[in-house]
Amino acid sequence: MSTTSAPATSPLRLVPLEEHGRPPRARLRPAAVLKYVVLTLVAVPWVGLPLWMLVVNAGKTTQEAAIPSVSLPSHWSFADNLSVVLDQGHYLTGLRNSLLVTVPVVVLVLLLGSMAAWTFARTPWRWLRVWYYVFALSIILPPAIVPTVVILTRTGLTGTVAGYALALVGTRLGIIVFLTTGYLRTLPSDYEDAAQMDGAGRWQTFRHVILPLLQPVLFTAAVMTVINVWNDFLFALYMIQGSDNATLPLTLYQFSSAGQYSINWNLVFMHVILTSAPLLIAYVVLQKRIMSGLTDGGVTG
Amino acid sequence: MPSVTAPRSTAQAVEPAGSTQVDPAPRHRERHLFRLWFALPAMALVTFFFLTPFVANAVLSFMQWTGFSSTISFNGLANFRSLMALGILGHATWVTIAFAVTTMLTQNVIGLALAKALQETNRVNSIYRSVFFLPVLMSPLAAGFIWAAILSDHGPVNQFLGLLAGHEVAYSWLGHPVSALLTVGIIDGWKWSGLVTLVYIAGLNTIPRTVREAALLDGAGPWRRFVGIEMPLLAPAFTFNLVLTLVGSFSALDVIFATTKGGPGTATSVLNVAVFNQYGMGLFGTSSALSFMIAILVIVTAVPMIWFLRRREVHG
Repeated sequence: MSTTSAPATSPLRLVPLEEHGRPPRARLRPAAVLKYVVLTLVAVPWVGLPLWMLVVNAGKTTQEAAIPSVSLPSHWSFADNLSVVLDQGHYLTGLRNSLLVTVPVVVLVLLLGSMAAWTFARTPWRWLRVWYYVFALSIILPPAIVPTVVILTRTGLTGTVAGYALALVGTRLGIIVFLTTGYLRTLPSDYEDAAQMDGAGRWQTFRHVILPLLQPVLFTAAVMTVINVWNDFLFALYMIQGSDNATLPLTLYQFSSAGQYSINWNLVFMHVILTSAPLLIAYVVLQKRIMSGLTDGGVTG
Repeated sequence: MPSVTAPRSTAQAVEPAGSTQVDPAPRHRERHLFRLWFALPAMALVTFFFLTPFVANAVLSFMQWTGFSSTISFNGLANFRSLMALGILGHATWVTIAFAVTTMLTQNVIGLALAKALQETNRVNSIYRSVFFLPVLMSPLAAGFIWAAILSDHGPVNQFLGLLAGHEVAYSWLGHPVSALLTVGIIDGWKWSGLVTLVYIAGLNTIPRTVREAALLDGAGPWRRFVGIEMPLLAPAFTFNLVLTLVGSFSALDVIFATTKGGPGTATSVLNVAVFNQYGMGLFGTSSALSFMIAILVIVTAVPMIWFLRRREVHG
């Protein structure tokens, strides 16, 4: 393996060589091969096995899946399980509610968060700093759910999708404000000043200068918020009532608890596949951008 | 370049350029005042759904409040005392700490190892990064269900172990107190380690190439380069990952609900499970007290951690 030049098609000719500053043969060292062998051996049980379990057991009959295993189903009953989950698992209702919650929450969190970030990054008043710390604290302090439910009850929003969505916005704003403020502080205010001087209104300055400047960090923030809100179970458990209002994690939980004696693995796994599918599809489509956004330091700012 | 389509206002156009720098204080104030409106909606929502509930929760921890009577009255430490007497408070706190530490260690050990292995950005590494990121997309509930199946008595893990041992293995991973607690912690760590990996990669990529090359030229081996150069320069990534993974798992619930529901017995009853149980019984006062305990845990661990890790950032 220690030849001096790698064939152009080799998957191990990985890095633009000058970036690494080492001779080409370093790429084909046995150590590099070993690394990818080990990584693959880790990835198989770590990621491969769970996905394989999901697919094969979602295709089994309830009896066959009673003891979940890696074996293929003796008879694929994927379609049957699918129709049971659609009928009894309230999947379509859950999907509708999840979309009704996730889309507005993400839009509101990003919009209101970056609006506030503009204030925090550019206004030097001391009491505003206190507010900024309140937002930062809301990231690490645990949500106080019982009083939140009381507030929702007092305002007549308890159990509804709207109340749940507002509570999510209020608790997810902190991280967005924190990331966007930090990012905005590293940028000079020249663009904004120029726009203002050209007579742009405040909203126009925000819309045409600030938002485009924040775009890279907002994309990463949007990815994290979508994952977080789509999968939220804790808030949904307390704040949503009835299967008509249930979001996907809640329908999944209710469905899994419906089995009288034990979990029907085939049906639960089918529900898991359907619940995860929208995010997985979005991930496959946007994967390149998501990965580069997150590794460019978007999270740590 | 951002485009500004607004019509020029003559009033401002006649002002000499650079006049903003010499603005007298009152005009300066006015210049900033409008931005307050931009922060107002976010402030209102955070007040309603974070600040008020948080303060209310702290106050309610010291109140007698149940679903069976309409009066709420101050009762001092009675909620905490009764929870202590029932053995709930102390036990749930320890379980929460053990769970959170397990999760934090899993995520950061796996995350750092994967980040080192996949540090360079190239096509093959990108594929591996994407694969290891997949669990992050899953809901923690789904993660719980999948691993409960994999670790079930006759599931793949026990079958594999049976193959190695040469006889049937039917260990109930989620059925014994200690292994159940470790297992749920690791499952939660499994779900998030892909994200931690990317944060460490981002941190590694901010280390200037010249620093690494200098160490290379000085003859430092890979391990010395990692411990002596990369670890200290990774300090901001450490702060972020260690604090958020620990603090985040103090309020975990999902994975436990999908696997053990707090059992066997109360072996995996973290504080948030106890909060839910008290709430379900209509005991809102004690429920708030347990919830407040999570906040205390966060404060007593996060503040010193941030302080200590930040100090490392400066001197590192």
